[in-house]
Amino acid sequence: MSDHSVAHGTFVVERTYPHPVEKVWAAWSDPKLKSQWFGGNGDNPPKVFEFKPGGRESSAGTIPDGPTYNFDVTYQDIVPLSRILYSYDMHMDGRKISVSLAAIEFWPATGGTKMKLTEYGLFLDGLDTVAQRQEGTIGLMNQLGAFLDRQ
Amino acid sequence: MKPRTVTHASFTLERHFRQPPSRVFGAFADTPAKQAWFHGPDDWARDVHTMDFRVGGMETSSGGSPGGPVSSFRARYQDIVPDQRIVYSYDMDLNGDRISVSLTTIEFKPDGAGTRLVFTEQGAYLDGWDNPALREEGTAQLLDQLASFLDT
Repeated sequence: MSDHSVAHGTFVVERTYPHPVEKVWAAWSDPKLKSQWFGGNGDNPPKVFEFKPGGRESSAGTIPDGPTYNFDVTYQDIVPLSRILYSYDMHMDGRKISVSLAAIEFWPATGGTKMKLTEYGLFLDGLDTVAQRQEGTIGLMNQLGAFLDRQ
Repeated sequence: MKPRTVTHASFTLERHFRQPPSRVFGAFADTPAKQAWFHGPDDWARDVHTMDFRVGGMETSSGGSPGGPVSSFRARYQDIVPDQRIVYSYDMDLNGDRISVSLTTIEFKPDGAGTRLVFTEQGAYLDGWDNPALREEGTAQLLDQLASFLDT
């Protein structure tokens, strides 16, 4: 492996969900709820879930006939009903593909909750791109919206 | 209580050092070497500093001016490629209030007989305690201290 490149990227995803802040917050802070929209349907809960500053979250998933991804989080700041900051690493088949910092902010909005997700990422050695990560994150936020609607 | 705010910002600093990448990287990787330049202003009490330089390892530092607030730095190394790059995320606290969460990338590139260092920091500055311009200024000061250390 000779390519040790680092590509820096950032993106923002904003959503307004027609649900109260408490309900949106619970979808992030309760592992049973989170596992129903964050990369699964509750069938692959995280192996570690410590929702507190300094706490970890760890999960793994394999795409059928594809690679295994590992997602490892350290929570760095949590203000209930207001914000979550965490850094995370992604590995693909054991190789580190990215290191990112995510900030999720929540505000009460007319008829629901405004949520803003800001990510800074380092995409390592040409194994991933910010465009793919943004696309994947938009997919997750859509899954969160659908999950909240059917709850 | 202060209103809850998050200010996102990034900065990049580039420096040329006369020393080769292995030497410059060593100033980050070796604990006594790092302690020689990675510290607050001279009028601060000597920092309390710990460091475990490996992926997943932690580095902590705290200090402050006599009678002033105590700044605490707590980093976790997230990626290390010897002589090439270091990635860590870190929190800063001021008297126990979290003032920022940042992701730092340091790249070491051969540049003639020396090294081009690219220091990129992506930060979330919390609740109005701190701002990106101050952090950039503080980081530039640290890199000046690194240059002095390498030249001695």
